[in-house]
Amino acid sequence: MTEAVAVPRLLFDRPASLIDRATHYCPGCGHGIVHRLIAELVDELALADRTIAVAPVGCAVFAYDYLAFDWVEAPHGRAPAVATGIRRVRPEAFVLTYQGDGDLAAIGTAEIVHAAARGERITAVFVNNGVYGMTGGQMAPTTLLGQHTTSTPAGRDPITTGFPLPISEMLAIVPGSDYVARGSVVDPGSIGKLKAMLRRAFEVQLGGGRFSLVEVLSTCPVGWGMTPTEAVDHLSVVAETYPLGVILDRAKGIGAGAAPGRAGEG
Amino acid sequence: MSVAPITGARGGRAGDVGIPGSQLQVARVEISPSPFVPLAIAIDHCKGCGLCVTACPPGVLALEPQAVNRLGYHPVRLVDPAGCTSCVRCARVCPDAVFTIWARPREA
Amino acid sequence: MTGTIERPAPVRDRVLMKGNEAIAEAAIQAGCDAYFGYPITPQAELLEWMARRMPQEGRVFVQAESEIAAITMGLGAAAAGARVMVSSSGPGISLMAEGMSYLAGSELPLVLVNIMRGGPGLGSIGPSQSDYFQATRGHGHGDYRVPVLAPSSIEEAVTLVADAFEIAERYRTPVILLADGLLGQAMEPVRPAFRAVPRAAADWTVGGAAGRPPRTVRSLHLEPEALEAHNQHLQRKYREIERAETRWAAEMLDDAEIAVVAYGTAARVARTAVERVRADGMAAGLFRPISLWPFPTAALRDLAPRLRGILVVELSAGQMIEDVRLAVEGRVPVFFHGRTGGMVPSPGAVARELARVWALTEPRPTARLEEARTAAAQVMAGAERSEAGPRTGQPAVDAAIWQERHAPMKDATR
Repeated sequence: MTEAVAVPRLLFDRPASLIDRATHYCPGCGHGIVHRLIAELVDELALADRTIAVAPVGCAVFAYDYLAFDWVEAPHGRAPAVATGIRRVRPEAFVLTYQGDGDLAAIGTAEIVHAAARGERITAVFVNNGVYGMTGGQMAPTTLLGQHTTSTPAGRDPITTGFPLPISEMLAIVPGSDYVARGSVVDPGSIGKLKAMLRRAFEVQLGGGRFSLVEVLSTCPVGWGMTPTEAVDHLSVVAETYPLGVILDRAKGIGAGAAPGRAGEG
Repeated sequence: MSVAPITGARGGRAGDVGIPGSQLQVARVEISPSPFVPLAIAIDHCKGCGLCVTACPPGVLALEPQAVNRLGYHPVRLVDPAGCTSCVRCARVCPDAVFTIWARPREA
Repeated sequence: MTGTIERPAPVRDRVLMKGNEAIAEAAIQAGCDAYFGYPITPQAELLEWMARRMPQEGRVFVQAESEIAAITMGLGAAAAGARVMVSSSGPGISLMAEGMSYLAGSELPLVLVNIMRGGPGLGSIGPSQSDYFQATRGHGHGDYRVPVLAPSSIEEAVTLVADAFEIAERYRTPVILLADGLLGQAMEPVRPAFRAVPRAAADWTVGGAAGRPPRTVRSLHLEPEALEAHNQHLQRKYREIERAETRWAAEMLDDAEIAVVAYGTAARVARTAVERVRADGMAAGLFRPISLWPFPTAALRDLAPRLRGILVVELSAGQMIEDVRLAVEGRVPVFFHGRTGGMVPSPGAVARELARVWALTEPRPTARLEEARTAAAQVMAGAERSEAGPRTGQPAVDAAIWQERHAPMKDATR
């Protein structure tokens, strides 16, 4: 009886668009997972030659060192405006923004709202880890009530600092938005669902649709003062304030305001 | 942090840029070696975060308490190759893309 | 012909155009691919012209949600290889400071038009030149300079728009076209000498990395050695611009003993004043900077020894005067006349100031400089104050020193 000798089937490897170098991100930081998912999708959809991505200010300012396509560095919060400029003069490109919670929901609130309002054909990746990581762990608009950060050392108090901002839910009711979803890196299954959300968002843009956004509940172990495993577990708590799922998929009639077509649109 | 520029390459299986004289260990190969081991680990990319250890259902991964890699972390090791089912969960949760995973070939 | 132009004909003798609209059309004819702006008085007509004409030409127009968004949309489009114009006025230009710093650091070409209005703060909507410091001193953070071109007529603005795009792309830098509300709002006959600006190949733009390694447009260089090298590269570029792109106009200076230094609308007023005092027998002239950065320092320094007084006229409390003083290196007294708040100096007022400068700098018969200085100070103390506030007092020149300086050149029978 002979043993069948077969070349083992490769199940998983680093995607080609994810540059083969160690990253500066902290151990257990969710950025690495999101970068990899983007690289996988860019490779699977053969987008690397057409992609122009816009980098934020925050820990992911170095995203252009890790993902092998064209990048433009934007001032803090302005990635959707930079992406608008790119998209309008490069109709054939695949345009992606990558922002953290401070970039998108604090200083960049106007830009993301108006990119959605204009229905810009861009895909926004919104990495929400509830703190300002790069600057040392200060409060973000998405910091949870009671959460201890370096600028809310006694825990976030709504009386002085207000409430976590549901920016994605806000964007989902803007008529120019076509797809808004929230995923998480809490476990392998969620990561798989997150990838499906990103794929759907990419497909919305590629199919001629308008503004798409995927929010990722991500970890900041150092900013949260937790081990990577503890931080991942904490995402279940975060999901109580920021529920997972597809918030809007206009083409599929999912979500508030997802009426077929838009008022005044043919 | 200084990162060496990657000229021309678009990522992929180029392997690590080594430092002469270092203890750089990278196993990144096209075909897994014989006898069959389901995982290859880019040891000097690992940050010892332990997410793979937690995510692994048969628990065949562990951080090496005695070893320190080029980044200064305890890297992960496949302690029980026979117990690995190639489920790929470790690779999915790894933020540093250290894993390459093959399916265990069926024996006739 | 009156009114706004529907579609300018290729060549016409003279066309009546509003400044804002002429600047916009000049940009379109120069090949501007994309315009981003936000409404603000006194330049809204520029945006509106673009809103109508850019889609007609199949080009990009976006009214952004703020000036911050406008300049960063411009950044994105420029990075993607487009020829971009953005326009605003003082309060909006202030919001663009960060964006301009990023444009300079990332070495992106872009033309920014500032139709200056009264400030500071919300100020007024009248014309001013009070953004000179902002435009020429970098405006945003970091070590960088931005070429600044200042037209003094609508026709000149049309020419300088094309020059601005050329300079921006030749050196990979943002360029400011600095005008004021009077130029923006006035209507003048314009020889529509619009000029298409040719394109050079660019090997640094992003557009999808097909067939080449990926590129990043960035201004972040975290390692001090790398950022210092980048800054040195930028400084070398600025020295090159200083050598090659300094512009000024010399008017009636051949025989001048006193001169006005003024730009933009102030220069037009000054020109009339100079002509008036010349008719009264005073040898006056006009030195008109056209590039405010690089400032025509060398030309002014070379002119200074031939003069006995300079009058700087600005629609501000005195900003360019600092560059004038630096240029003349103390060789000649520098006087000032300015109006703020949207007020425009009148030719009569400037002519009176010129006459005063002429009198104050008249070589005196006293041999002792101390006596001359005291006499001049007394004259200054009793002199009528102009509405711009206190003049810069300078002692009269000692006659012996004056004659020594001018003996070889001066006609003794004047």
